Amino acid sequence: MTAPRVPATARRRPATRRSGLASARLLRLELRHNAMLWMLPVAVALFWFTTYRKTMAMPPLWNLRAANMQSGALADFITPVVGAAAWMGSREARRHTTDLVTITARPRWARLLTTWAATTGWAIAGCLGCLAVLYTVTARQAGWGGPLWWPAAVVAASLAALSAIGFAAGTLVPGRLTAPLAAVAAFFMLALSTELIVGSQSYWQISPLVTGPWDAGPNAGVGTFYPYLPDLSIAQAMFLAGLTIAVLAALALPRGSGGRRLRAAAAAACAGGLVAAGTAVALAGTGKLDAHGMIAIPALHDAANDRPIRFSPVCSQTAIPVCLNPAYASYLPAVAAALKPVLHEIAGLPGAPVRISQAAVTYQQGAGNSVGASLAGPPVSGRPPVYHLLLPDQLPGPVTTVSELAAAARLTAGPAILASVMGDGPGASQAQHAVTAALVMAAGLPPHGIPPAADGQPGTPPEVTPGSPAYAAAQRFAALPASARHAWLVRHLTALRAGRVTLAQLP
Amino acid sequence: MRAAAPAGSARPARPLPGGTRLVRLHAISRRVPAAVAAIAACALGLRLALIGHWDSYGALQLPLVFEAASAMAITITTASPLGEPERAGGRWLPFLRLASAMMLTAAAAAALAAAGTGAHLAGGPLDVLRNVAGMTGIGLLCAAALGGGLAWAGPAGYLVAGAYALYTQWHGPALTTPWIWPARPPHDLGAAICAGLVFAGGIAVISVRGARDRADE
Repeated sequence: MTAPRVPATARRRPATRRSGLASARLLRLELRHNAMLWMLPVAVALFWFTTYRKTMAMPPLWNLRAANMQSGALADFITPVVGAAAWMGSREARRHTTDLVTITARPRWARLLTTWAATTGWAIAGCLGCLAVLYTVTARQAGWGGPLWWPAAVVAASLAALSAIGFAAGTLVPGRLTAPLAAVAAFFMLALSTELIVGSQSYWQISPLVTGPWDAGPNAGVGTFYPYLPDLSIAQAMFLAGLTIAVLAALALPRGSGGRRLRAAAAAACAGGLVAAGTAVALAGTGKLDAHGMIAIPALHDAANDRPIRFSPVCSQTAIPVCLNPAYASYLPAVAAALKPVLHEIAGLPGAPVRISQAAVTYQQGAGNSVGASLAGPPVSGRPPVYHLLLPDQLPGPVTTVSELAAAARLTAGPAILASVMGDGPGASQAQHAVTAALVMAAGLPPHGIPPAADGQPGTPPEVTPGSPAYAAAQRFAALPASARHAWLVRHLTALRAGRVTLAQLP
Repeated sequence: MRAAAPAGSARPARPLPGGTRLVRLHAISRRVPAAVAAIAACALGLRLALIGHWDSYGALQLPLVFEAASAMAITITTASPLGEPERAGGRWLPFLRLASAMMLTAAAAAALAAAGTGAHLAGGPLDVLRNVAGMTGIGLLCAAALGGGLAWAGPAGYLVAGAYALYTQWHGPALTTPWIWPARPPHDLGAAICAGLVFAGGIAVISVRGARDRADE
């Protein structure tokens, strides 16, 4: 038997390269034997069941879908990520290998960090995969705009923080009950912490589930006429990053986690992380609802985001063109078809608008968590006149389908457009009320007043009571042939608007 | 090995009867005392949480969180530290598993229902019983498929689905399938049948087969 011959000139590899390779190998091992891999099907199934289906049912607006994705994806991944991280954190104690691995060359903290990194890596990879599918489908459907990356960044930062918290819980309190209890506790804390939000100046807005004014919900009117404000997202990402650093650094503080210098550096990092997280919470508390419907934080606000977005509207080929923001292009055919009978009644009349143009909304914080929304400026402006339209989805409330939105626009904007042309309103004459009501009837809209949903639409005409002289005149005028009505209006509209026409003078 | 009793001391303690000792050892090996403590903590947590003021979402989702936590605690007791030797020699094992799961589920439902006494517990005791039984069934099925250690993933995932279904009661379209029973009214027969079927399936599988466990955990 001969001893193996070793070449005398064998070179030693650099220590750093060897260390890097060993770390990569350790990470590869951790990735292959990680509980998060088993949890991914659960998280992805939840994402599909709760977030994807709901988001896809929304109109293809980037702002709407990205905001919904942030809240939904996070809620879906909380329990799997925290549970898996806690399970991985308690592995050494569970398998009774603590003493065995203590004698290895690598510091304990470095080993723990690798396990955490593998768990977080799987969680983020799974979540980004879900996000990629959602954004790809949205990109194919959306006619304008582009993906919003701040919500995705907040979700990724949240997963890292949740993983760190779960991992720390598993490491510090190892046991079989730790993982499930940590998962439920994290869900409880995050999902129900939003109960504490009151108004737009709340510290609790730091919760990564919050994307805008709480209780107003995702709103189609936000982020289309003005840029999507990243202020709250920046504060949330700062908070989550600080929390992650603080929790992970705290794992290195116990004696035996590493050398003296490592523990000193970890203490500094822990303090720095806590300061960053605390600062972010304080910043979130200074936020307030801005006029464009998002939370603006003065210290993080970029004034450039207050300028409106330039766009070329998309217009219909109707008698009076209906022009919408290109983000709402998918609504145009349905909205134009819904308003067509109304526009047919007023086309060619003196003072009729040359265009129905969608306008931006102005938001105001109400009492508690209520948010008020109204048209920014008068309903009719310019010369020749342009009528400014608000789509129902731009106002706070449930998001509707395209057909529901068109039906609502017909009921709300239709009478308002007619009233604006007739000069109808609270101080108008009985003849103006009657002619507006007649045109409402002729356009096929409900004759007995306007539904309560129309209250938010500017220029909604007053109700004409059935049985009143004005109602009888309206029925008489509506019964005329369309050409006769139109001819009479061409001749007498100026006098009607000036209040010089009486009910008796109506044909 | 037991130390000899000092001379003149009281009578030596009588050993427990065989059956009782078997039940006690089984319960300890399955961490039943820890699960009971966790269930008691859940009941206490629910009671404390019910003191606070919750809006309509929170009031509905609150009991579900504690019911899921109790169900997860029960699923933890399916993991066996003994593995194959116990399976080979334990003639009474299926009955012990059955009794353990049934007793813990009953205890959890009773504790949570008691915690809601005198407070506004959304859904009431019937809701608690149905939800705890159903989610425990999911956990037991997961224990048979994934192992006792990771069985909590089932109730944890179902908690999110249930909370979402409750949310859709306000923001439609509402989920009305009886398989997501937390969103159904307490007297809904379909939901009760679905939860009962899942519980019965879970109990049957875990009693006969036990959890799919690795010996090193």
